Amino acid sequence: MTMITAPELEIAVLVLGMAILLVEAFAAKIDKRVLAFVGIAGLALVLVASFFVTPGSSTSQATGFWSFYTADRLSIFFKQFSLVTTIFVLILMTDYAPVLRSSFPGATLQAGLGEFFALPIFTCVGLMYLVSAIDFVFIFVSLELVTISFYVLVSFTRRNPITLEAGTKYLVLSALSTAFLVYGIAWIFGVTGQTNLQQIADALANPATDRNAALFGMVLILVALGFKIAAVPFQIWVPDVYQGAPTPVTAYLSVGSKAAGFVVLLRVLEPFLALPQTQRLIVVIALLTLIYGNLAALPQANLKRLLAYSSIAHAGYLLIGVACFDASAIGFYLVAYLLMTLLSFAVLIIVAQQTGEQIDDFDGLAKRSPFLAFAMLIGMISLAGVPFTAGFLGKFFIFYAAILQHQTALVVTGVITVGCGFYYYLKVIRAMYWQSSARVDKIPVNGLSRLAISALIIATIWLGVYPQPILDALKR
Amino acid sequence: MSPFLFWIFALLTLIFGAAVVINRNPVASAMSLVVSFLGLAALFMSLNAYFIGIIQVLVYTGAVMVLFLFIIMLLDLRAEEGRQINWLASAGGLAVALILLGQIFSVVGHLTIAHKAFPPLPGSTIDDVRNIGAALFGNYNLPFQIVGVLVLVATIGVVLLSKRQPR
Repeated sequence: MTMITAPELEIAVLVLGMAILLVEAFAAKIDKRVLAFVGIAGLALVLVASFFVTPGSSTSQATGFWSFYTADRLSIFFKQFSLVTTIFVLILMTDYAPVLRSSFPGATLQAGLGEFFALPIFTCVGLMYLVSAIDFVFIFVSLELVTISFYVLVSFTRRNPITLEAGTKYLVLSALSTAFLVYGIAWIFGVTGQTNLQQIADALANPATDRNAALFGMVLILVALGFKIAAVPFQIWVPDVYQGAPTPVTAYLSVGSKAAGFVVLLRVLEPFLALPQTQRLIVVIALLTLIYGNLAALPQANLKRLLAYSSIAHAGYLLIGVACFDASAIGFYLVAYLLMTLLSFAVLIIVAQQTGEQIDDFDGLAKRSPFLAFAMLIGMISLAGVPFTAGFLGKFFIFYAAILQHQTALVVTGVITVGCGFYYYLKVIRAMYWQSSARVDKIPVNGLSRLAISALIIATIWLGVYPQPILDALKR
Repeated sequence: MSPFLFWIFALLTLIFGAAVVINRNPVASAMSLVVSFLGLAALFMSLNAYFIGIIQVLVYTGAVMVLFLFIIMLLDLRAEEGRQINWLASAGGLAVALILLGQIFSVVGHLTIAHKAFPPLPGSTIDDVRNIGAALFGNYNLPFQIVGVLVLVATIGVVLLSKRQPR
């Protein structure tokens, strides 16, 4: 078996994306859903190949290509994470295709579907580059690749006024956050004369370097990344954009974009860890995010909006991990978050086409489709953090890391807000199992979705009982 | 370049930059942005970065702003002119801007390199096009390639979002 190197993974995904676009352009007669299946199969192939890549280590002496790109264990792990996310998002998109058709009135049945399936593959390339980026120039370029493809995906069903509003808000606020990112990079470059993160760390260790100016640049970059990971006070866009975007895109935004944001945050903060102000700042942001996300989720009646606020709350728990700088706790939490969030969105997409997105629309789901109700039940109890689910262990590792670092305020606030979370997640379960609905007809689930949802349920419970495989993969 | 010219162009850039935000008429706003960009181009040239200065004029001032003006005039935006100013929001925005300004001043005030006299710039060379090309296609090749993918995605997106649906 010949060895596969990490950069070949991205090239393979890029070629896949281009091939799908070309087939889309020239083969007008085929069922466009075939393209999604080709995409899923191709990404699965790359995912398998990624397990044959041996992680390397980055050095400060690296030049050329390797001064931008690292193939360390963390980056390989999150490349696999991005691939898995994109595969599930494509499956969700095939379920969502009928909704897309109704938003392109008068056009042929297949209008816009090809691009809808091809764009996530390019987003995936961006995410894979982003988790490998160790140079500010490269971080900026790959972050923009992700963001620009999300601009298109978020406003895809633009005939719908809510989607159009979501698309415009995301475009304007995201552009603003990019401005902060570039300004911050300019400050750090001005002080250290470097864009490579390792060389910046070396420059900061030198007492002649101006710390205050570098810190100012770091704060500006934190603003931009706070926008990506939906941390308070940069979360204003989240509820509207999550609600208005096509549901598979919302799922992608809340899992893929957030995970890559956290990986970049870990890498960017590493040079600044020597400065004590950094940790204090992260602790404050984490506290605000935890409190705001959980309290604002309480009164929500729309499930998509509820999941948006829950996404802010989960960013808070992840930020506890950042404050303690525990990469493996964050990695495990993100895997758990991927499983339970995609599970909830998968059920939401199927149910929303029959009834709607409100929590009331889930009334009596247990009677109409015991399978979907059970899947939603697992998703919700895992998001809430009930033992024997991946969500519980994720929170456990995060809190454990915080206790080791004596971050009492974070642990206390975290535990209280978890209790708060139980209330709004259980609201959904109550609707499904205790409320009765006027409609009793069954909700059909196609084979592929049934397979994907079953896989997510099993993985959520399995990792809740036996987390060792993920922890081993994350060990540096 | 003499400090006198620097101050003229810097003030020009800042004043017209503010005018972009303050003007209620979109055409006047866009024209202010053109002047602001010209000031910026002059500053680039004063740093011997002739190529970037020229590109600033050609691409931003020339192409992009003309496109902006075209679209503004085609859309005939009158609604913006009659809009009431929300003084509370303006005051809030101004406060945030002033805080940021104060922060920048305090950081620059403590910056050691800002208080030292800079060595004179090396004499201007005509080579800066070649230097930029060498940097883009040499050391910065990887990010440059990714920009290619980015432009592809942006093109697909623009076509997709602006396509008129057959009725």
